[in-house]
Formats: sequence, structure tokens, C-alpha cells
Amino acid sequence: MLIEFQQALADLTACPELCVRVRQEPSLLRERYELTDREWHRLVGIVQHPGMACACMVYRANRLAPFALNIPETCRALGKQLRAVVSEYWRLYPEGNVHFFVEADRFCHFLKAKLASDRSIDAEVGRVLARDAALIAIALRESQTEA
Amino acid sequence: MTLAYPAVGLLYNPATPDVIDHAPDLVEYFSVMPDRLWFDFGPKAATGRRFHRTLGAINQVRRYAEGRVLAAHALGLSLPSAMPLDEAFVEAIASMSADLGGFRWFSEHLSLFITPKGTVPNAQAGLGLPVVYDEEAFAIVSAKLHRLKQALGCPLLLENGSFFTPVPDMEMSEPAFFNRLYAEGYCGVLLDLHNLYVTWRNGGVSPDVYLEELNLDAVEEIHLAGGDDFGGFYMDSHSGAVPAPVWDYAFEYVPRFRRLRALTFEFQETYYERLGPKPIVTELERMHELAAQGSVREVADVD
Repeated sequence: MLIEFQQALADLTACPELCVRVRQEPSLLRERYELTDREWHRLVGIVQHPGMACACMVYRANRLAPFALNIPETCRALGKQLRAVVSEYWRLYPEGNVHFFVEADRFCHFLKAKLASDRSIDAEVGRVLARDAALIAIALRESQTEA
Repeated sequence: MTLAYPAVGLLYNPATPDVIDHAPDLVEYFSVMPDRLWFDFGPKAATGRRFHRTLGAINQVRRYAEGRVLAAHALGLSLPSAMPLDEAFVEAIASMSADLGGFRWFSEHLSLFITPKGTVPNAQAGLGLPVVYDEEAFAIVSAKLHRLKQALGCPLLLENGSFFTPVPDMEMSEPAFFNRLYAEGYCGVLLDLHNLYVTWRNGGVSPDVYLEELNLDAVEEIHLAGGDDFGGFYMDSHSGAVPAPVWDYAFEYVPRFRRLRALTFEFQETYYERLGPKPIVTELERMHELAAQGSVREVADVD
């Protein structure tokens, strides 16, 4: 089914770990998606192509864009922890929102909750996040006004 | 005021007014992205209203469009997605077109941007994914184009994407898919020469092979842009000057595109602080040299 094929392609692009698993065990695609033989062969070919690594990289770069553009200080404060934190966020929210302020606001709420339970993140992140989150909340409110 | 096609211009972004201020005569036209002139809260918006327009930006577009050809280029319809056309999105584009005096033409992408089984209504796939070119995809895309033409009342174009992963075992090639859409009257082609270059640099089909198969009469607009090498791949980052091989293809083929409306330079505004207007003006000057080699013809008043 085309719907299943398109969703599988999007899911694979969003998840390098899934690509690795499918390369090792192509039958996994049949378990997860309702695919014709031809669609299954196409997906297996795509996931084995060297360009799939690039597609996954661009996906992550594009999903990072709302944060890099709107909460850059928080991204800087996270430093080397940014990669693990956004990966966890993307697992929780596999779909990005086209409205960058909505997406950044959602990430701020996620990170705030994470900071409350995860002591491994530098306390400075919390201070920077408070400022960034307040600015995003204002920008989000203003985006609802047609100003 | 009359203008000649092919017109030279830019894909509009927040830095475009500054470029136009530096070289007003070099920018004869621009294309706006409706998706960037509103905030889309999705069909299930908590406020009950989905699209909130950015009126300041729209008024700025209106001012800079005076005496210029205005077109539109959208990202959010994801025409190849196996899901119904986003009618609210279409109506919002039509409303914006009417508000701005009418788009001369409207273009979208022949790429998959929206996932059909997404749980967030306006979720995006994160990048343009490749399309399987077969009868089913043709039926989906052509039906949506038919509806879109009814709603917008202007010529439609579809843009070729840049892909990192070719789809194996397709029923038809991308140029063949475009040729059929054009032959059956659904749309023309917005040929992004940099996207062709990106696809080739990352192991895809050569631009020569692609252009050999494409019906050159279908091409009504070309996109030019620059990119970057990153992680062993070449990216369509719109980061600066057009690479020499892309210019070579442009100068070879533009004289053969008999129905060309526009030459469009794309740059990403986040690079503008570093670039400044000068390198963009240089590209626009070269695009005018290129346009002079095209099938130049006058078009009706634009005021």
C-alpha cells in the first residue's frame, strides 16, 4: 500500500537506528508495514543505499533548525549533551511541527521536565532555558495575532 | 509597464528587500512562499483558527512587488502524499493571491514532505523524500493539480527535488513523469538545476541523462543556487554562489527552453549576514546575461 510505503520511508529517514535494524533484518519492514513485494524490495534497496545516511543526517539537521534559530543559547549550553537530548526528544515526538515557535516551545517544555529529573545536565542549562523559553512563549503568543 | 520573459529574480525571504534595495533594476520578479507568510497552527488549532498571517511581511511583499512580476512557490501541499489535498491550505493560498493582486504562476515540489499516517496534522517528513513514479502516483498528483488549477486560476509548475536515495525498480523516470504531466496539461516544470547537480554529486542520475529525456518545452522556470560539501555528501544548502557546472548547464540549456518565464536565484537568509548583497548581485548580473540568451518575449503589463 502506498500509504504504508510512504510512512515507512519517512520513519526510516527519521531513525538511523531503524535503518541499521532493517539492514540486518529486512523482514522487519513486513512486520511493521503492509507492503507489496515490490514496495518491500524498493525500501530494502533504499535503506541499503549509501545516500540513506545523508538523508538521515539532513532530516536531523532540519529538525534541529527550529531550535538552532530560536533557542540558540540553550543549544550552546547543552553542548555535547545536545545530541542525546534532541535524539530523546525526537523519539518522543517523531513528527516536527511546521510552526517553528510551536516546535521550539514544545522542546522547551520537554527540556524543562527533563531537567527536573535528570541531574546529569549542567545547571547552567536551566538558567539559559528559562530565558529562551520565556522569549519563545512571547513569540508564540504574538504569532497568533496577525500583527 | 512591460517586462520580458524570462524574468530574472529571487525566491523571496526576509533578506530579499535588502538585496532589492542594493540592485532594484536587477530583480524583475520574485516568488513568495505562502507558507512563510503565515503561521500554520494545523487543522486542529487550539484557537480554532489555523492560519495566522504575518501582516507586516505581507505588506512588505506588496511594496516590493510593485512594478515586478509576482509568483508563489509553496512547500506544504506535499502533492505526492497518499492523502487528500489540504483544501484549507489551498484556500489560504488563493486568498493570499487575491490579496496580493494575483500570482502569475504557482509552483510546488514533486517531493513527499508530509507523512500520510502522521499523528500531527501538519507534521512534515523533515525533508523532501523521493516519489515512486508509477500510475498510482500519477493519478494522485494529477488529480490534485487539477483541483489546484481550479482554485488558483493560474499556471502551475512542479519542481524536481534533490534526492540522496534513488528508488529502485520504478515504472517511469522522473523526466517521463514530468513529460506526461505536461503533455496532459496539468503543469509545467520548475527545473532546479542545482537539485539536479546535488542528486548527481551524491550518486544519482547525471544531469545530461535527465535533460536528454525531459521535454524541454515543459520547462517554465529554473532555480539556481549554491551548496556545500558536508560529511562526504554535497548539500543543497543555498549557501552562496552557483557552482560552475550548474552555470554550464544553464548556459547550455536556457536557449533551448522556449517557454521559460523566469530564472530564480535561491539563497538561505541565514547566510546573508555573512554573504551580504554583493555576491547575490553578482549572480543576478550573470543571470541577466543568461536571460538574454533565452527566448526573450514581452509580457503584458504588470502594474
